[in-house]
Order: sequence, then C-alpha cells, then structure tokens
Amino acid sequence: MRALFLLGIVLGFGGTLAAAHWVPWISHQRLPSQTTVVANGGRAEQFLIRLPADRIAATDAKAGGLRSAGADSAMVLPAKFVAEPLLVEHYKVRDSTGQVVGIAARHWASGDHGMTATWSVVVPARGSLVLRAPGEKSGALDTALQRAGYTPGSVWEGTLEVALVPGGTVAGGTGDFAGLSGSYTETWKITGVDANGAMRGTIELYTVTRIP
Amino acid sequence: MKYLFVALLGLLIGAGLAGTALYFNPFTVHTGAAPAAGDRVLRYSLPDQVLTAAVGEDAMLAGRSKTVDGLWEETIDRTAVLGLVLTDESGQPVAIASRLMAGSPSTDLLLTGVVLSDYWLVTLPGQGTLFVRSDSNVWPFLKETLLPVWLFDRPWRGPAVYRPTVGPNAGNTASVLGVAGVFEGKSGSAVERYDVTAFSPAQNSAAAVGELFVHLPEQQVAQQ
Repeated sequence: MRALFLLGIVLGFGGTLAAAHWVPWISHQRLPSQTTVVANGGRAEQFLIRLPADRIAATDAKAGGLRSAGADSAMVLPAKFVAEPLLVEHYKVRDSTGQVVGIAARHWASGDHGMTATWSVVVPARGSLVLRAPGEKSGALDTALQRAGYTPGSVWEGTLEVALVPGGTVAGGTGDFAGLSGSYTETWKITGVDANGAMRGTIELYTVTRIP
Repeated sequence: MKYLFVALLGLLIGAGLAGTALYFNPFTVHTGAAPAAGDRVLRYSLPDQVLTAAVGEDAMLAGRSKTVDGLWEETIDRTAVLGLVLTDESGQPVAIASRLMAGSPSTDLLLTGVVLSDYWLVTLPGQGTLFVRSDSNVWPFLKETLLPVWLFDRPWRGPAVYRPTVGPNAGNTASVLGVAGVFEGKSGSAVERYDVTAFSPAQNSAAAVGELFVHLPEQQVAQQ
C-alpha cells in the first residue's frame, strides 16, 4: 500500500514536470502555405488584404489621405508628427485563398534619402517577413482615384489598379522566411469609396523569394 | 478500490508538489541582459503612448478587455498588435512603433518560461526604419504581478522592474535589422526593460514605462 502511494507521488510529480516541458502550450493553427514555384527559380507567394474588413488601424495625419480617413480605429499622432510625411497602418493578412493567416504593419515615412515603405508581415505559425521599397509619392492613391473620377466626399464605384510599389525588396525574415531574399510588388485594387472615405478593394503583396 | 484511491491520492499529491516546484522554478524566472552604456534608448509609456491595441481572443493584456478590436480568427487569436509612440531620453517623441506579438511555441513551463515572439517595426521619421525581433519571457511578470493580484486577490507590491528579453540572439538579446534609411544594411541587438508603475484589476487599469535599448554599430552617426 505504501509503495503504491509513493509510486503515485513519483508518477504525479514526474508526469506534471514532463507535461510542463513537452506539452506544446502555445501552438498556432497553420494553414497550408500557398506557394508556387516560379519559372526562373524561387518561390512565389501572394498575401492579400481585403479592405475595409482587414484594416485594424491607421494613423490620422493628413499625409494618410483616404487611407487614414477610412479607418475605423484612428491612431492619433503626437503633434510633432502630424505635419510629417508619416503613415502607419495595421492590417490582418490573408493567403491567396482568402484565409486570414497573419497580421501586418506598413510604415510609410521619410528616410535619409526620400520616402520609404516598409512592411512587417507576421504569420504566427510560420514566422515573419520584412519588406522594403522606395515610398510612393504623398497622396498617390488619392491622386489616382481623383483621376479616375472620384470626388472627395462623394461615393465612387469603379475599378482602379494602382501599383504602389512596383519593385521592392525582401529585406529579411524569421522562422520559415529566415534567410530568404527576393522581391515584391504591392498593388492596390480599389473597387469603391463610400461617402466617409472608406475604400473597398484588395491590397496584393506578391513576393518572389529564394534562398541565396 | 482502496488501492485505486491510494494511487490517485499519490498522483494528486505528486502533481501538486510538481506544480509548486514549477511555480518557484528558478529556471523560468531568469531575466534578460542588462542594457549596455551608449545604447540608443527609446521609451514608451503605457497606456498614455499607446496609439492602438488589437488583441487576439485567446491572448490577454493586463487592463484591457479581450473583446476590444479582437483578432478572432483561429490563426491569429493568440496575437496582439500595438501602435506606440516612442520618446527619447528627454521625453520628446522620436519614433512610431508597430509591435506585433504572438505567443511563442518555444514556451516551456519547465525550462524557459512563457515566451512571446515580439516583432517591432520602429520608424524614426527623417532617419529610417528598424525591425526588432525579440523573444520575451513574461513568466516573471505573470508570477510576481498578474497571478497573485488578479487571480489570488493579493495586494499589488509594486512598482516592479522586468527585463523580459531572452532571445533570439545569444546573450539574451533581441536581433535588430536596419531596414530603411540610415539604418539600411546594419544589424545589431536590443534589450527591453519595463517598469510596472500601477496595477489594479479592480479598476481595470495598469501603467508601465518601457524602454527599448538598441545597439547598432556606428549608431552615433544615426543619432546625429
């Protein structure tokens, strides 16, 4: 009887410690990676952002234009940054099948030699991807929409495709994306703007990466 | 029946002893490296300098409702997104940071603690952008602050200072990648330190002052 009791204590103690060590306490659901092989080597992967559903927040400064105006949750910048060319946007990210797979931040700001656009895309089950490109001109999307007939304050319907980043660089990555180099493009496909300035459409991030 | 009861009692006592050992386990409370002299310091204050916060339904931040701006999809329900204003040592805003966080699969309650994967995108207008990848052990905060006060209704014994950075670099430091501007092509390390200055689950409030110490080669050039 005593031996059984002691054995129970040992098993309970050891089993709990083993569970503390071996049980995967945090694991993220992983969806199959939607990658394709490109003809000249490397792999292609597209990430999508549906507007307005996937927008989490955007800064409120004038530089944002419609991209700030349409955000449900505005990030109020300190006064020092309001006049700066600075736009920070947070999004959910989908794979090419439309499933939400991660979260992302886009920073558009002035660097030492002009504007820069940078992305941090985090897919919890896989790792992170860092993208860099020369930044678009201030108000580039607003200007393109106005050329397509949009008038501020009014409703606009149509189809507009803007290559905001025609050629960017994969600057780094972690996890599954570690050690990859390559390029990316960022295209905004806008299908409408409501009276409050909220845009409908899709942001496409198309990456081509390879292991150098 | 008697034997089964004795065996179960032994298992329960053993599990309880192991739980106590885990709670006081010295392996999981190790703290990050101390910041080095000369590092660039970027400060933030919670909640004052939080621009936005979106929290996954299965994640949790002290003092915030789980339903605020929830990230409900199963693939991201253990993540959080923070927008922060970062100030310099004189308190002037110098940067905006997007902090994307996710629970880390390297969490090990026996050896490493409760680990968060932290991805900072830090932009200093007029200078450039940095990417900081950090592993943060939040178990010391959970053990010393959150669990006793929030779960066991004990009085908060603060303020308390934490250095959560435990990787991924050797020496318990985060890795820094210069992405754009004057930082492009540079790499370095970073550590975080935060001081919890107020904590009151009853009032659903918490306050902290955090510091990100960034070490980059030739960073004096950037500071000019």
